[in-house]
Parts: sequence; C-alpha cells; structure tokens
Amino acid sequence: MIAIQTADVDIGALIVAAKKHGTGAVVVFDGVVRDDEINEMELEAYEKVAVKELKKIAGEATRQFGLLHVDIIHRIGRLTVGENILIIVVSAGHRPEAYSGSRYIIEEIKRGVPIWKKELTKDGGRWVPGEHGHGKLS
Amino acid sequence: MQWHDNKENTSEEEEVTVKIRFFARFRELLGTDIVTDVAAGTMFTPLIMTTTRKNPAGYAAIFDENGEFHEFVILMKNGKRIEISDAVKTPVADGDEIAVFPPVAGG
Repeated sequence: MIAIQTADVDIGALIVAAKKHGTGAVVVFDGVVRDDEINEMELEAYEKVAVKELKKIAGEATRQFGLLHVDIIHRIGRLTVGENILIIVVSAGHRPEAYSGSRYIIEEIKRGVPIWKKELTKDGGRWVPGEHGHGKLS
Repeated sequence: MQWHDNKENTSEEEEVTVKIRFFARFRELLGTDIVTDVAAGTMFTPLIMTTTRKNPAGYAAIFDENGEFHEFVILMKNGKRIEISDAVKTPVADGDEIAVFPPVAGG
C-alpha cells in the first residue's frame, strides 16, 4: 500500500500482510508528531506527484534490497502530538535487508517527496525547513 | 529581455489556459489553483512573475531583488521538474499544470 491520506492506519494489520512467503524480518518505521512545544502539526502534499515519487522509491528499495513487501503511508491534514505521520513497513528474508530498505525509504522521502509540515503553536505557526534544499525531484 | 505579459498583446495571438499551484508557505501568501489565460508561447518565468507581482510578500518569497528565482524554489510543469535556469526558456502550453514550491520537508 502506497498512499497519502488523512486517515490513520492499523499498523498491526500491515505487519500481518507484510509476512509474505520467505519473510524472516519485518521492520516498521513510525514517524510521529513530536512534542516540540507545539499544539498540532499541519501537513500538506502535492499529492499526485508525491504518490508517484513514493511508488518510485518503493520500487527502487525493493530492487536494491530484495524486499518482499513495502507499505508507505504518509498522512496529511492536522495531526496532534503523538499521532502517526509516516508509516513504513517492509519485509525481507533477513534483517540487514529489511533495516537497510526501511532506512533508504525514509531518507529518500525526506530528500525529494513534495510534502510540507507546519508546526502550529500558541503563537501561530512555523513551516518546518527542508533538510535537503533543492531535493532530488525528477 | 522582452517577455509576454498576461492579458497584453493577446488580441492577435492565441491564448492558452494554465493552472498554477503554489504549496506550503507560497500557497499561504499567494493562494493556489490559479487558472489564467496567457499568450501562447509565454515562458514559465514571466508567467510566475506576472502572477505574483501584485502580491509583494508572495513575490519576495519567490523572487530576489534582481527578479531571479530564489535558488531554493522548486518548479514543476505537469509533474516534471524544471530547472530555474531553464524556466525562462520553457514555454507553457494549453492545459499545463505549473507548480511552485519551497524545499520539501516530509517524513
């Protein structure tokens, strides 16, 4: 499942679905809204481009690391502290591939998928600066 | 440099309709999903310049004092990246979706 959506997901169900034949390891990355003295976070995406980029990243991770299954769900809209922002579930035959594949996916998302975050505080809001300047959007 | 300007010199020229999408901080300043008619052959850079010129804060967020895109601005046409250096020589066509946004910060 590759998706940009407002709704949360059942991570337990994703883990069950990720256990394809040959699976020896499932790695879950769950990015959550951190309590940086904020009330909420608002997320925005250029959805059709973001989904295309996520699919490209999932495909590349599968190819590079021999993953058996990949889920990437990035949430948008208003989220409160502790809520899930990004869930990545990958499975592989062994843990090195699963860890490496998961790490590759999150770093590529940060580098080039058109999604933005605004931290909402009692004094207003601030856009979270990108980590990679121009990024690598193609 | 001579650029086409929206709504000017179009009486004898074909017009094309494009949609401009701003995101994040740029959207807050300029709005988004702006549908506009421009002369066929209008280039990417003057299209954005004309669209943002009436909004000083929005313009300053995207262009520097020399009228160049800030180096961090990301441009897309129909979902494909356009380099800033190419934007001045990239024409827009009827039905194009133009996107302008700051560096991404997902994850």
